[in-house]
Amino acid sequence: MIDSKLRVLVIDDESAIRNILRISLLNQEYEVAEADTGQAGLTKAAEFHPHLVILDLGLPDINGIEVLKSLRQWTTIPVIILTVTDDETTKVALLDAGADDYLTKPFGTPELLARVRVSLRHHNEAEATPIFKSGDLEVDILKKYVKVGSNLVKLTATEFDLLSVLIRNQGKVVSQEQLLTRVWGKNSTGQTHYLRIYVAQLRKKIEEDSAHPIHILTEPGIGYRIV
Amino acid sequence: MTTDGRPDPDALLRAIGEQEARAKSATLRIFLGMSAGVGKTYAMLRAARERMKEGVDVVIGVVETHGRVETMALAESLPVLARKKIEYKGVVIQEMDLDAILEKKPKLVLVDELAHTNAPGSRHQKRYQDVLEILDAGIDVYTTINVQHLESRKDIVEQITGVPIRETVPDSILERATQIELIDITPNDLLQRLKEGKVYLGDKAEQAAKNFFKPNSLTALREIALRVTAERVDQELQQFNELTQNSGPLQTNERLMVAVSHSPHSERLIRATRRLAYNLEAPWIAIHVDTGVPLSDEDQAQLVKNINLARELKAKVVTTTDTDVPSALRRIARQKNVTQIVVGRPSRRFIKDVIEGGTLLDRLVRESGEIDVHVIRQAGDSTYRPPLIKKIEHFSDPFKYWNTFCFLFGISFVSGFIEPLLGYRAVGFIFLLAVLCVGLLSTLGPTLMAGVLSALVWNYFFIPPRFTFVIREPADVILILTYLVAALVTGFLTNRIRSHERSLREREDRTNALYEVAQDIATSRAKDEFLTKINSRVGRLLDGECGVILRSQDGKLLVSEYKVYSPQPQLSENEQAVAVWSFESGKMAGWSTDTLSEAKGLYIPLKTPDETVGILVYRPRTMRKLNLEQENMLFSIASQLAVSLERHFFEKRLRESDRLKDSEKIHQTLLNSISHEMRTPLTAVMGTATALDDETNSKNPVYVRALASQLLDASDRLNRVVENLLDMSRLNSGMLALNLEWHDIHDLIGVTLKKLGKNLDQHSVVVDIPDELPLVQMDFRLMEHALSNLLLNAAAYSPKGKTIRIAAQKVNATLHLFVEDEGPGVPEELLDKVFEKFFRVPGTPTGGVGLGLSIVKNIAEIHKGSASVQNRTEGGARFTIELPLTDTPSVPEEKS
Repeated sequence: MIDSKLRVLVIDDESAIRNILRISLLNQEYEVAEADTGQAGLTKAAEFHPHLVILDLGLPDINGIEVLKSLRQWTTIPVIILTVTDDETTKVALLDAGADDYLTKPFGTPELLARVRVSLRHHNEAEATPIFKSGDLEVDILKKYVKVGSNLVKLTATEFDLLSVLIRNQGKVVSQEQLLTRVWGKNSTGQTHYLRIYVAQLRKKIEEDSAHPIHILTEPGIGYRIV
Repeated sequence: MTTDGRPDPDALLRAIGEQEARAKSATLRIFLGMSAGVGKTYAMLRAARERMKEGVDVVIGVVETHGRVETMALAESLPVLARKKIEYKGVVIQEMDLDAILEKKPKLVLVDELAHTNAPGSRHQKRYQDVLEILDAGIDVYTTINVQHLESRKDIVEQITGVPIRETVPDSILERATQIELIDITPNDLLQRLKEGKVYLGDKAEQAAKNFFKPNSLTALREIALRVTAERVDQELQQFNELTQNSGPLQTNERLMVAVSHSPHSERLIRATRRLAYNLEAPWIAIHVDTGVPLSDEDQAQLVKNINLARELKAKVVTTTDTDVPSALRRIARQKNVTQIVVGRPSRRFIKDVIEGGTLLDRLVRESGEIDVHVIRQAGDSTYRPPLIKKIEHFSDPFKYWNTFCFLFGISFVSGFIEPLLGYRAVGFIFLLAVLCVGLLSTLGPTLMAGVLSALVWNYFFIPPRFTFVIREPADVILILTYLVAALVTGFLTNRIRSHERSLREREDRTNALYEVAQDIATSRAKDEFLTKINSRVGRLLDGECGVILRSQDGKLLVSEYKVYSPQPQLSENEQAVAVWSFESGKMAGWSTDTLSEAKGLYIPLKTPDETVGILVYRPRTMRKLNLEQENMLFSIASQLAVSLERHFFEKRLRESDRLKDSEKIHQTLLNSISHEMRTPLTAVMGTATALDDETNSKNPVYVRALASQLLDASDRLNRVVENLLDMSRLNSGMLALNLEWHDIHDLIGVTLKKLGKNLDQHSVVVDIPDELPLVQMDFRLMEHALSNLLLNAAAYSPKGKTIRIAAQKVNATLHLFVEDEGPGVPEELLDKVFEKFFRVPGTPTGGVGLGLSIVKNIAEIHKGSASVQNRTEGGARFTIELPLTDTPSVPEEKS
């Protein structure tokens, strides 16, 4: 990269939202471009070569999900979706269509910025390092050990598989179906209770207080993410 | 009439009402003649032309000029509607185009020959039914009819002329008429016209028609025609008398009842009674007593025909079950305050009369008390006496005779061995026993046969001298005669008991069926459930297929949704049309009725006093007509269905209006919220923004942070109001699809607490959940809303610094989720109100619109659980959500 600044493209028809995003992003030393329609957004994406796109779902001309699909035809840059619906199926569909993350309006800017950072980092690092560190938790996917503080934690094989799928997508939401097929195979679709049971077991082993988990977070109705 | 000579106000009102109704509805003018050729059609056309000159929109629906020049000329001066061509068995028949008339909607339609029978495949069997439909559509009709075609005059005209009359119209059509015009010429003039060839005699029946035109017959016919008109004038006069102060003759309090059986003579009785009733202006009842004797198909059909005739002639039809006809007649007569009973002269039945204590008539007359009994003679000179053999044939199939024969043969054979041991007299008792058995197990015919046959066998083979019919000992003559009588009577009686028992059972079956239908309705939660159940039940009972078509909300029949509640995929277009017609006219139609009888199904409108809610469709598997019993059952089920469907519709409407009220209230609340709930945080937002705009303020970082946190609070509050309103309207709309998945309660609490974040900062939250809780099936997002509403509620209603406790426990197959606070609790009298929509405990802090807890309740209920509140003995409130627990599905074995 010639320019050291990271470029973010914001596609949203609401100028108020664009203003807030621009101010917050500029504050964080990002370079920002804006578009107010899906079409303009796609053109801008081609010219501006952003490192990340923030895309609103409700655009006046094309549905946001269509914009996402067009983008995905030629680039793998992280896309964060902004939506007003609470509807899980839409969100799962977004993840399936290649969105890296989503935020439900209304949201706070710190939350958005955190997601932007995670997405960018994840995209750049890819799977460079097998070691995941977060607070007192330390996991090495290759050497297969898990440490909480200085104590080694013994995980079952399935628990470890689950944890490593999450870690490979750290910071990102992994949908329930993805988790199920990767850990238990294709025949396990719909068996969400597997996840509940194993996530609960995992939390008991790696979280300090499983009622207030800080590592494995639940995205209600959609999936899990590890931070 | 009251005694002081003033008109009875009720009668006045009724008369005025009828006048008004008639003025509003379409008028029917009947041109009545004593026979063909009197000039009815001509008179009708002339009258119509007068109307046309007045500017009335007149159309000829159908007029037969039969080539008469004057009539043709007159007809040509009026607009004619093209006739509809109906092809039947290769012949094209032209019929009046009913639909074209209904569509064109002229003011007046001319319809010649009211008694005409339509070609098969037409909507109605009879033209008069077409006319009634035209009238119902508000179109005036002029029509013609000869007196012999009136249902009640048919018999007498047949007697006078000796010509059978096939086409009849019910007399009630005369009552529907606004005006009856008698076209009267003298018989001599008519005969003159006949000679001149001006009278059309029809195509085939020329010889028969000639019988009509004898001076004697014509005079008699003329008298009948005049009398019909006179009766009508009489009635009008009477009505007029009631209206004006002239008090007419005293009204009678008579009430007539006619006994109807499966005899073809009953028709005559019915007509006679109707005539009597009409002249007395008395209501009349047609009663059928089901004695439990099984009827042949033919008799069954005749019975249904008789009953329908009575219905058509406006009788109230009553059916009752009793083996004893006179006592049944007496019972119903007393119940219905009947003053006169009409019966036919009975046929002679020797044995039965002796057994039952006289003929029906004797007993009826003897026991009738204050009731007058009219006896009408049977038609022709002979009394109706069904031939015995034929009657017996009706009762049983040949198979039963064969069985009986074999049985007797066996008994005779066995008796051959017993006789040497016990003597020939004992054999008689064995035979008697055998006849009793046949009586119990078989029907009347075989029983009688067994009686006679066994007597013969006994005599021939056993009573000495053997192998002759000669009897040596006089005592044996008495023995064999006694045996014969005893065998016949006991056989007959046992059989009678059996048939009585059978009729009771049938009745019980019917009652059971109705009861089960009622049960189906009562035990079903939704209409779909009971409709499917009833359809299959009725289909089984009546050997056919049954379906229901419901009405849509805007009052149309949802023909396309037939398949929803019936085993068949879809109705053909023709059948659909029949269904729609039946629905719109509110009358039965289709198979086995007079209307659209070509249809494959029977269509019964589901009518309640206020509306028609749909159509019951019955398709027989065989083309065998339903008997009276089955028909009655179908009607009873239809009316039961109608009432429950109406109730269902009513409830639905009520719910709808409730929902409307709710949405109105949401609207209202939204307005209130905008003024308070939303403006307050908005004020905070605006105030903060303006404060930040001020340079001195924005330079003070402490101040800026304080403002920012205020902004955040305000927007949080706004967001919550919006979420609750959205939730409420989603839950209310019933459109919410529950996304049930297995979830961990720990997870639910964790996510909820994280989301509420700062909102619970002022309180200490304690989570107290056992480790080993099973997974629960729930919609996570909704439960999260429910729980956060409870937590926010606890936070809002308990002082800062107090503890909020979240607990869960498994009780049997239920999960209890508690949220406890240390606030003041809920006033006892309001405990059951807090979950109501828009309810807020009076005097509580502002904030909230009273939706939060009702959403909790709603969410718990759509999970088939419940929400409740109690005051804790330690102080504070405890809210509980109960959710049903099911067994957690298994998880695959851990791979090693």
